[in-house]
Amino acid sequence: MTTAVHEGPGSEDVLAVAEDVWMALLGEDGMLVPRAVPTGTPFDTAAWSAATTISGGWQGVVTVELAEALARRLTVRMLALPADQTATDSDVADAVGELVNMVGGNVKSLMPGPSTLSLPAVAAGRAAFARDAALACRVDLSWLDAPVRVSVHVPLGGPR
Amino acid sequence: MIIDDSRAMRSILRRIVTGLDFETSEAEHGQAALDQMRAGVVPDVCLVDWNMPVMDGYTFITEVRANPEWRDITLMMVTTESEQRQIVRALAAGAHEYVIKPFTPDAIVDKLSLLGLVPA
Repeated sequence: MTTAVHEGPGSEDVLAVAEDVWMALLGEDGMLVPRAVPTGTPFDTAAWSAATTISGGWQGVVTVELAEALARRLTVRMLALPADQTATDSDVADAVGELVNMVGGNVKSLMPGPSTLSLPAVAAGRAAFARDAALACRVDLSWLDAPVRVSVHVPLGGPR
Repeated sequence: MIIDDSRAMRSILRRIVTGLDFETSEAEHGQAALDQMRAGVVPDVCLVDWNMPVMDGYTFITEVRANPEWRDITLMMVTTESEQRQIVRALAAGAHEYVIKPFTPDAIVDKLSLLGLVPA
C-alpha cells in the first residue's frame, strides 16, 4: 500500500526505487509485494530502521524499516556469509545502512538539486522523527511475508 | 582497491572482481586508501564510493590526481550519487568511469571492460 501526504517524491517513484534496490540485492530470493497498511499504523515491532537526510535544493529524510529476520537475511546475502555463520548486530547495521544509502541516493536524484546525502544513521528499533517533520510518502511492502516500509519525511510546511 | 565505508558493499564488489581474477585490497574511506597507497599498496584500479566519513570519494580522486606518480591508476566511482552535476564533477576531477548503485555484476564487468581492464 502506498500513502502520500505532503509534497515530496511520488509513491510510485519511491516504490520503483525500492524495487530496483531490492532486485539488485535480493532479487533471486523473492519479489517485493505491496502491502495494505492503514494510514497511521506504526511499523511492526522487532525492526531495524535506517535514515539518511537529503539537504540542499530539496530537503527531506528517507527511512527504511525492516523486520528483524529480513534485516538479518539481507545482511547474510550482502556479506555472503557461510550457512553456519550468523550476522552480528554490527553486520546488520552496516548492511541496513547501505540499503538506506542506496534508496536515499536514488530518491535524491528524483528531487530538485543540487543536494547532498548524509551518511546513514541506523538503529535497532523503530525510526523516530522530529516534531517538525511531516510524512511526505510511505510505501509498505513485504518480502517473503516479512514487512518493509520506506518513508520520506519533509520539514513541516513542505520542502524548504 | 575497493574504497567504501560499507563492509557489505565492499563484500559485494570483492566477489565480483575476484571472479574476474583481480586481487583486492580494501579501505573504509578515502584517507585510509591514501594511507595504504603511500605505504606502497598502489592498485591498478580503485572502485570508489562518494559518501564516506573522514574523506569522501570526490576528495580522494582529487588527491590521487594531484600526485603524478599515481597517474596510471584507473578510478571508477561506484556510488548512489546520480545527479548529472555530480557525475560531471567526478569525471572532471579525474574519474574514468561512473557506476550508480544499485548495480548488477554485469554493469561492473561492462565498465571494467570499457576501461580495458577485463576482456570484452
